[in-house]
Amino acid sequence: MSDEKIGVFLCHCGGNISDNVDLDYVESELLKGDDVCVVRHHENLCSLEGKNIIKDQILREKLDKVVIAACSKITHGNTFQNYIQPLNPYLFEMPNIREQCSWVTENRDESTVKALSLINSSVESVKHNEPLKKIPTKVKNSVLVVGAGISGITVANSLAKQGMEVTLIEKRPAVGGAMIQVGKVFTPGKLSEDCAACLLNPVIDEMVRNEKITLLTNTVLESSTRNSGNFDVILRKKPDYINPEKCTSCGKCTEVCPTYAPDEWNEGLTDRKAIYKPFPQAVPSQYTLDDESCIRCGKCIDVCPTKAINLDAIDEIISLTVGSVVVATGHQRYDTAKRPEYGHPFYEDVLSQMQLARLMGVNGPTNGHLVVPSTGKVPRRVVMIQCVGSRDQMPDGHKYCSKVCCMIATKNANLIHSHYPDTEVIICYTDIRTPGEYEKYYKYVQENGVKYIRGRPGEVARVDDHMVVRLEDTLTKTKKEIHTDLVVLSAALEASEGTMEAAKVLGIPLTEDKFIKEKHPKMQPVSTDIEGIFVCGTAQGPKDITESIIQANTASTKISELVNGGLEVEPFIASVNVKKCVLCGKCIDNCRYQALSMHNQSIRVGPIACTGCGDCIVTCPQEAISILGQSDEKLEASIKGMLKNKNPGEQIIIAFLDDIGNVSANNMGINRVECPSSVRIINVPFINRVKYRHVKYALTHGADGVFLGEYPDNARHNEIRENVLVMKRHLKEDGINPDRLLIHGVFIPYFRGLASQFKEFDDELRLLNEA
Amino acid sequence: MKSSKKQEMSDNQGDDLAHRVLNDIKASSDLGLLRCVQCGLCTSMCPASKHSDYDAREIIKRVLDGDESIIQDEIIWNCFYCYTCQSVCPVGNSVCQVTQILRQMAIDEDVGKQKIESFISFADNYIKEGLGSIPREYHGQLKIDYGQHWENLQENLEEVREQLGLDSMYLLPEAKKSIDKTLDAIGFKKRVQEIKDVRNR
Repeated sequence: MSDEKIGVFLCHCGGNISDNVDLDYVESELLKGDDVCVVRHHENLCSLEGKNIIKDQILREKLDKVVIAACSKITHGNTFQNYIQPLNPYLFEMPNIREQCSWVTENRDESTVKALSLINSSVESVKHNEPLKKIPTKVKNSVLVVGAGISGITVANSLAKQGMEVTLIEKRPAVGGAMIQVGKVFTPGKLSEDCAACLLNPVIDEMVRNEKITLLTNTVLESSTRNSGNFDVILRKKPDYINPEKCTSCGKCTEVCPTYAPDEWNEGLTDRKAIYKPFPQAVPSQYTLDDESCIRCGKCIDVCPTKAINLDAIDEIISLTVGSVVVATGHQRYDTAKRPEYGHPFYEDVLSQMQLARLMGVNGPTNGHLVVPSTGKVPRRVVMIQCVGSRDQMPDGHKYCSKVCCMIATKNANLIHSHYPDTEVIICYTDIRTPGEYEKYYKYVQENGVKYIRGRPGEVARVDDHMVVRLEDTLTKTKKEIHTDLVVLSAALEASEGTMEAAKVLGIPLTEDKFIKEKHPKMQPVSTDIEGIFVCGTAQGPKDITESIIQANTASTKISELVNGGLEVEPFIASVNVKKCVLCGKCIDNCRYQALSMHNQSIRVGPIACTGCGDCIVTCPQEAISILGQSDEKLEASIKGMLKNKNPGEQIIIAFLDDIGNVSANNMGINRVECPSSVRIINVPFINRVKYRHVKYALTHGADGVFLGEYPDNARHNEIRENVLVMKRHLKEDGINPDRLLIHGVFIPYFRGLASQFKEFDDELRLLNEA
Repeated sequence: MKSSKKQEMSDNQGDDLAHRVLNDIKASSDLGLLRCVQCGLCTSMCPASKHSDYDAREIIKRVLDGDESIIQDEIIWNCFYCYTCQSVCPVGNSVCQVTQILRQMAIDEDVGKQKIESFISFADNYIKEGLGSIPREYHGQLKIDYGQHWENLQENLEEVREQLGLDSMYLLPEAKKSIDKTLDAIGFKKRVQEIKDVRNR
C-alpha cells in the first residue's frame, strides 16, 4: 500500500479557490512527505484541458490512485470519475476545498491550512480505496399480487401487459373485493351513480383473459423468504371440493344442501347454503364449499350430475419464486358492535352502509327494493350516522378520518332519494369531507333535498315500532330526537386481517393504525421498507376507488423500473468476510431491509436491497462485515490525515455529516456563510457508521471536538441518539470530557443554523481548552 | 430563533380561561379540552341538556372562547355529575370535569358560595357528629317522598338496631375529637364559615 503512487490535482476554480487558498504553499507542503509523488494545478480541472492533464499524469507517472481537490463531489464527482480512466473509477477521492473551505473561510491563511488538512485527509483515505465495480442486477420477471380487489386486479393487468408473469391470489372464492359488493359508485363529474359491476367487469375480464396472469382464489400467502433479491413464497390453496373442470354450475347441490350459514356477500342480511355460488356474477363462475359449516352429509354428491364433488379433497401447497410482491390486501369495515350505543346488530333496523348497499343492490336480498327489515315496508325516513369508529380516540376507535364515508353516505342518500322521493334522508355528520370536485356532488345531493345535520348522535334507541336518534344540531343549538324507520351507520375503514397477516409473513412494518407503512408517506407512497415489496389500495390506508387505481398503476410502474431498468447499483454494500463469519445469523435477523440471506453455508448480500447503512456491522459479533469502500480503517485514515499537520494552538473539529448534512454544508458555501475554519467535514453515508473507536481516535490524536450531523428523519434515529449517550459515557471512562462530542440535527434548508451550531461548538471548545 | 418562538408560544399560555381550566388540579392530565371540535356527541347523551337549557357542548365552546361570564352563569349548576359526556367523548374531553372546575372558580367568588350555601347544614352536621347524615330540615321532604314507612323507621331506629344486635351508629367521643381536629386542620371549618359569611352579608 505504501508503495502506491498517489497524484494530487489542485483546481483553482477560476479563482474561486485560488483567491482564498495559497495553492503554491499547499503544493510544497504536500510534496514534503513521501505519500504524494505528483501535484498539478489547473485553472479549471473540470474542463477538457483538465481531463487531459489528469489522464496524462496518470499514464506518464503510472499513478495508482488520485486525489482531486476541487469543488463538491455532488457537482463534479461523476465528471472526475470519468476523467481518471484508465484507473478504476473508485480509486480517487475528492476533498471539497471550495464549498466547504474557500467559500466559508474569511481569512486566507486559515483557509490555506484547512485546505491542506482536507487534502491530507483524502490522501490518507485514498490509500484504502479498492477497485470496485457497479453491480448489475437482475430482478426476476415475475410478480406475486396478494389480493384481487380493484387494486390487485389493476396492478396485475398492468404488469401482465408489460410482459410479466403475474400470480394473483385471493383469499375469498370470488374476486372483486369491496367494489363488486357496493353495487353503485358515484361519478362526481356527471353527478350520477353508476353500476360498479359494469365498470369493474371489463377489468376482471381482461385479467381472466390475460394468459400471463394466473388467478388463484381461496388462496393465502403462507410464507416468504428473501433469496438474493427474489422472494421464495409458499401459497396455500384451500381444497377444491368441487372440481372446476367438471362443475357446470347447475345448482342442484345447493338445492339439496341442508346447512345454512350467514351470507358474506349480503353482509349477513340473508343466509346461504354450505355449498353455494358466492353471487350470480361471481368470477371465477363456479360453486364453492364452505368447509366450516358443511356437515359432510353427502347429499350434494348424490345429486351432482357430473360427479364434480369430492369432500375428501386436500389443500394444495404451491411454491414459487418471484421478483416482486404487491400487497393489495384491502380493508375491512369497522365492527359496529364495538359501539353498542348505536344498536347494531341488536336492532335489525340499524344497518351499516355496506348492508344498505346490498339492500339497494339489484343482485341483493330484495332485488334492489329498499325495505325496513322489521316491517318489510319502504322506510319513511332514513338517518345516517357518520364517523362510527373514525375520528375517535376512544378505545377500539380509530383516530384517523376514513376519507370515503362522507361520499358513501351522500351517494347512498341520493340513491334512496331518487328511487323513493317520499323517503326523507338525514345525514348526521361531524364535518363533511368531500374534497376536490366531490364537493360539487355533495352540494348537488343537498339541493336534491337530502338533509345534513351537523351533530354527532350519542345513541340510537327503539321506541314502539321505530328507531330514535338523539343528537344536537350544533349549528342551531337545538337538541333533537329524530324518529326514523331506518338507521345507517357509516363504519370506519380499517386494516383488514389479511393486510396484517401479509405484513407479518413478508416482514414489512405497519403504521400505528395497522395499515402497511410506506417507505415515505410523501415521496415513496407505494414502496415499502423492503425493496421489491410494494403496496397499493386500501391496504396502505383508507382511500376511494380512484385513488386505489392510481396507486395500483404506480406500484406497477415501480416494479417495471426494477425489472426493465437494467439496474446498476453503487457497490457500497455489505460484504461478509467468510473467514471470520461463523454463520450465527444475527445480521440476517437484524437487517430491516431483508438484504441478507443464508445460502449454502454462507451469508449472501442482496445488492438491490442493501442500502449500505452498516447496521449489520454493528451487530456482527465477529466483526466479519464491512461496507465495500467504507471500511473502519479508511474512516480512521481520513481522521488521521485531517490531523496530520496540526499547528500548535490550532483548533480542529472533526465533523461527520451524513448526506443531508453534507449538502447543507455545501449550501453554506454556496451562500458564503462564514464557518469556523476549525471545522473539518467528513461525509459518511449514515451516522451510525461512526463508531466509538473513531470518536476516541480523533479526540486522542489532536481533535478538540467531534461533531455528528444527523438528519433526524431516519429509521435508526433513536438508536443513534442512544448510542451517542453511550459514547459519552465511554469518553468519561476514558478520561475525556464528554462535552467534546456533540450530535445535532441537520436539514438542507437550515445551513445557517448548522453554521451557527459550528460556531457555538467552536466557542465552547475554546472555553474548554482554556479551562 | 427557536427559543424566542417557544417564548412567544408560552406567553399566551396559562392565563386564558381554557388554560386555567386545563392547569387546574382537578383536570385530568390528558383532558382533551383543546381537541374539542364541537361535534355535539356529549349534548346528545346528556340528561341535563335534555331537561334544561344546559348544553354540554356550549359549555366547552364558551370556555374555549374565553367567555369569563360562564363562571357567574347559573347554567353550570345544572350538571349532576353522571359523567356520560366523559364516557362518550371521542377526543377524551370531559365536560363534567370542566364544569366542576368552573364551579370551583365560582366558589372562589361570592356567586358560587351562594350556590352551595343550601348544603351548609350537611357540613354543620358533619362538624357536629363526625359523620355524614341527612340534616333535620330535610326530613319533612323525605317523609313526603318515602311515605309513612320511612317516618316509622326513623322513630324506631334505635330499637330496630338494638333488635338486630347492631352497635351504636354514633362515633365514640375520642373519634369525634380527632375528626374535629382534622376538619380544623384541613380548613374545612374555615371554609364553612366563609360560606356563612356570604349568606349573612
